[in-house]
Amino acid sequence: MSALVELVGITKGYGGVQALDDVSFAIEAGAVHALVGENGAGKSTLVKILTGVVHPDDGRLLVDGEPQRIGSAHDAHRLGIVAMYQEPTVFPDLTVAENIFAGRHPRGRLRSVDWQAMRSAVAQLLDDLGVEFGPATPMRGLGVADRQLTEIAKALSSNARLLIMDEPTAALSPHEVDNLFGTVRRLRERGVAVVFISHRLEEVAALADTVTVLRDGRHVTTRPAETLPQQEIVRLMVGRSLDALFPKETVEIGEPVLRAEGLGSRGVFSDVSFELRRGEIVGLAGFVGSGRSEIARAIFGIDRLDSGELWIDGRRFRPSSPRAALRRGLAYLPEDRLNQGLVQPMSVAVNTSMAVLPELTPAGFLRPRRERALARRFMEQLRIKATSPAQIVRSLSGGNQQKVVLSKWLAAEPRILILDEPTHGVDVGTKADVHRTISRLAAEGLTILLISSELLEIIAMSDRVLVMHEGRLAAELSRAEATEERIIEAAAGMQKAVA
Amino acid sequence: MSPVVGLARRAIVRWEALLVVMILAAGVWSWTLSSFFLRRANLLDLATPYIFIGLVAFGLTFVVVAGEIDISVMSIMAVAAVSIAEIWSAGVDVWLAALAGLGVAVVLGLANGLLVGLLDVPSLAVTLGTLAAYRGLAYVILGGSSISGLPTGFTDVGGGYISNELPDALLVLLAFALVLGVLLHATRFGRYLYAIGSTREVARFSGIPVARVRVTIFAISGLMAGFAAIVYLGFFGSVQADAASGSELIDVVTAVVLGGVDIFGGSGSILGVLLALILIAVLRNGMQLANLGGATQDMVIGGLLVAAILAGNVLRGAQSRGLPWTRARYARKEVTQAETPGVHSSGT
Amino acid sequence: MKAPGRPAVSAQTLVSAVFRLRELGIGIALLLTVVLFSVRATNFATVSNWQDIASDVAVVIVVAVGETMVVLTRNIDLSVGSIAGLSAYLSAETLSTHHGVPIVVMALIAVGVGLAAGLVNGLLVAVGRIPAIIATLATLSIYRGLVFQATGGDYVFPNELPQSFQNLAAEKPLGLPFLAWVALGVALVGGAVLRWAPWARDFYAIGSSPEAARLVAVPVVRRVITAFAISGALAGLGGFMFAVRFANVDTNTARGFEFDVITAVVIGGVNVFGGSGTILGVTLGALLVATIDNGFTLLKFSEFWKIFFEGTAIVVAVTLDALLKGRVQDALRRRRRPASIPREQEAPA
Repeated sequence: MSALVELVGITKGYGGVQALDDVSFAIEAGAVHALVGENGAGKSTLVKILTGVVHPDDGRLLVDGEPQRIGSAHDAHRLGIVAMYQEPTVFPDLTVAENIFAGRHPRGRLRSVDWQAMRSAVAQLLDDLGVEFGPATPMRGLGVADRQLTEIAKALSSNARLLIMDEPTAALSPHEVDNLFGTVRRLRERGVAVVFISHRLEEVAALADTVTVLRDGRHVTTRPAETLPQQEIVRLMVGRSLDALFPKETVEIGEPVLRAEGLGSRGVFSDVSFELRRGEIVGLAGFVGSGRSEIARAIFGIDRLDSGELWIDGRRFRPSSPRAALRRGLAYLPEDRLNQGLVQPMSVAVNTSMAVLPELTPAGFLRPRRERALARRFMEQLRIKATSPAQIVRSLSGGNQQKVVLSKWLAAEPRILILDEPTHGVDVGTKADVHRTISRLAAEGLTILLISSELLEIIAMSDRVLVMHEGRLAAELSRAEATEERIIEAAAGMQKAVA
Repeated sequence: MSPVVGLARRAIVRWEALLVVMILAAGVWSWTLSSFFLRRANLLDLATPYIFIGLVAFGLTFVVVAGEIDISVMSIMAVAAVSIAEIWSAGVDVWLAALAGLGVAVVLGLANGLLVGLLDVPSLAVTLGTLAAYRGLAYVILGGSSISGLPTGFTDVGGGYISNELPDALLVLLAFALVLGVLLHATRFGRYLYAIGSTREVARFSGIPVARVRVTIFAISGLMAGFAAIVYLGFFGSVQADAASGSELIDVVTAVVLGGVDIFGGSGSILGVLLALILIAVLRNGMQLANLGGATQDMVIGGLLVAAILAGNVLRGAQSRGLPWTRARYARKEVTQAETPGVHSSGT
Repeated sequence: MKAPGRPAVSAQTLVSAVFRLRELGIGIALLLTVVLFSVRATNFATVSNWQDIASDVAVVIVVAVGETMVVLTRNIDLSVGSIAGLSAYLSAETLSTHHGVPIVVMALIAVGVGLAAGLVNGLLVAVGRIPAIIATLATLSIYRGLVFQATGGDYVFPNELPQSFQNLAAEKPLGLPFLAWVALGVALVGGAVLRWAPWARDFYAIGSSPEAARLVAVPVVRRVITAFAISGALAGLGGFMFAVRFANVDTNTARGFEFDVITAVVIGGVNVFGGSGTILGVTLGALLVATIDNGFTLLKFSEFWKIFFEGTAIVVAVTLDALLKGRVQDALRRRRRPASIPREQEAPA
């Protein structure tokens, strides 16, 4: 009998980055198939291919042994492949029941909405999941965890043959996780295939029948779960080569510049304390959602901080707005280049000068020549490939855009620079340029907090590594201690190292 | 430079050029209707009835460039005009009254701005409400009566002529165009507006005082409505509570949008708005020469408004999607950008 | 067994209570107003005065039902007054020149004209991607211009219309004016549609989150066009009702009427940012506004205060909506247990 879904030689690249390279494995009906790998290993791309959101460059997909082209989300649904989305499908004004059945209400007499049928179906689903809210609860009243449970209920309601769950347990309590696992096991008995993606390896061990490990877009292995102990999985996930990375220069570390004590933001992170020193590059690792970026945003005055204290150069600093943070010598390069980093329809010069306009225009009048000179300086320093400072940034490549964002923050001459995924989605050459720049800046005395999903980047660049797990600092590792295994273990909560 | 960007830039340059061509075409049409059109007196006086529209449109331009909208402007103008007239008729010096009127206009604009900038209520909803509320205020102040007979020295601002030919109001308009053009295009404040109108998040992340700027633009819009009230009083010589409650708002919005100001914020120029205003003036003048009624004229202007936005949308579509032969390249870029983390909780 | 740190279920009941508060609030306000005016204005609590209010409010309710559909989708229709004027004139003109035409046909003409105008609005907004407020501001002007084109500044006088038509306004089956019966019917059908029709439930989904609606394959463009078409058709019906109520129709019929309608909709608890609101609330809202108007008139308040009152009411309602939405959401988010939570994706309303 053929597998429910079989992937043969699936390959997908974005620009210069190879997200998936010749990946082949089979997903059997009536089994839970765990998909594990580091951030950037290619799991999300694989999910997107299975659900028709992106199309592979090469390779074939067989469903029930028949080659299929999944061109759209609709095609995927037709084939019985359903993925659990997160936030975007939420209708805050509607009830839980309508959220689950939006766009496909059960029909009763005269093709009208059959509220009764809808409510009882949803009540049954929610009961199976053991949640505490009912079908009539307005979605607006639910927090993130309950929204996620609703999303799970929605996926379960669709009678899928292949159900893809991407980090379904991230925000759930142990009790809810138990219920979810019970539901997943019932689905398995009904012959449904479940692809289960999780960073929590103990969950993988508890639930999965089969485990597939991906690394750098390549398929490492697909094996029965009982033959793969957790340590073995970690070993298979890591072990990437160190090519094309810039070696960090050794820098003498100076006095403390920024001190954070007991930082907390309710529901996001809590009790985070650390210190950054002059000339130091500190890596902040952890899985997406562990609160890494949120800490940076709170320090920079974008999100509110509920508790904790900050000192810069020994003086109290209360983050209130990005403007105030800039004045105290902080700069933050956000991870979302498109929506937070650059004004796309504006020129390189305008973007470069954006954070330093008050200094560039003392009388309030623009000084275009100064702006262009500033832009030119950074175009040269960072090797930005643009025809002139007047070029519109939208027309630049991703890597060059990222360098413009970096220019914008370097122009502000910060003393502490927070970099959030500075090399995400850029080509190898740009990555090396960014690393070279970071290293040189640190040597000149800049303090850098480097947030990255890429472990090798963290390990290669950092003097010290902080690891987050579920909103808390799980470990603090020196450069010598920071290995991929140790970081992953700490990030996955497998060891509660003392911070 | 990428061909698409070049094309887009040339299209923007051409937008103002296109307006000039349309003005000339409308002029030729008017001339064929009546040779009176080309008389110097008529040409100079052409825009006089629309000067107050232009001043309000300039103010609105600041709001729209920053990605907001203010449809209460005509009501603010009415309140300012009514206040000036009422205060003057109570025996106060007319220039002091005008100053008070400007103050009232700024306060009303500020009220809009505070709701939008500080409480984050969408400007569209706020100004839809104040459009009615401020008009009601004008009625409450003046009731159903009318005030006229303001001193000549004052009414000259909107209705006077230098050597019987050159309208004072035209000079007022050009002076404001110059000052506001500099403010919008050559100052830090102007740059902030474009940044906020393009991507508010980026502006905030870059340390731009977004809330303060958003409050300020509504105050500017109010202030310009106040100046417009002075010109209005001068031109018409009298005022009622229902002043400018008809098609004037559409004329203002049309001048702004037809002038090339992106209704979604982030681009536009004072020059474009000025040209659009002249186009509206020439068209209305021509339609009057052709004996078309006010309602028909309003229809044409309304159609022009819709056409201008549709044209802008088509242009923007071409800009972001690329033209057919460049589309493939851009589609690929969009996919790469869509890869920035966000939707899924694990990395790529 | 309760998981530790879960918010009490009462938090959710609280939220639903807050969002039901609106209808209750209007109901109480309406009751208070009625009591107040009954005491202060001697001729308020009379059957004939209430029949007057009913006829006044009937037109507002009919048009407001359509406007509600549009506002639910996070759009707005400012052109309803002009559409009503256009329909009123074209249908009355037909009747005055062809006396034999049944009145039902006249009503159908009015609805048809409105439907066509609404379709144009819908296309401009959904396909042309013009912000609804701008598009309908333009069509407000264009449709009013069409009224002038059609009338040439002419009037239709009551005596040009057949007697049967003129009598319609005075008819009071079961003590309720004819127009009020029409409004009641439209409100009931509108309410039922919004509750039971799958395509109408999509309005709520679209207004609540357009992106999410697209993701679950709701045909957004088609639904938005439908909402505008219904709004246009009901504005057309409103025009017919104007003709019935006042019998003479001119170029200024229903000018500025859009504000009465929007006030009723917004006061009635339909969120201007889409996604929530009920016909019951809108009906109560319209009744409240009409009652206050009527009371003001009886108490000899200046009619000018009415305009000020309506505008201020809109501002207060939208501000409260915005604040409430933010506050409630904030309060609940803060109740979450500290855990690793993906970044909030939703933009603040």
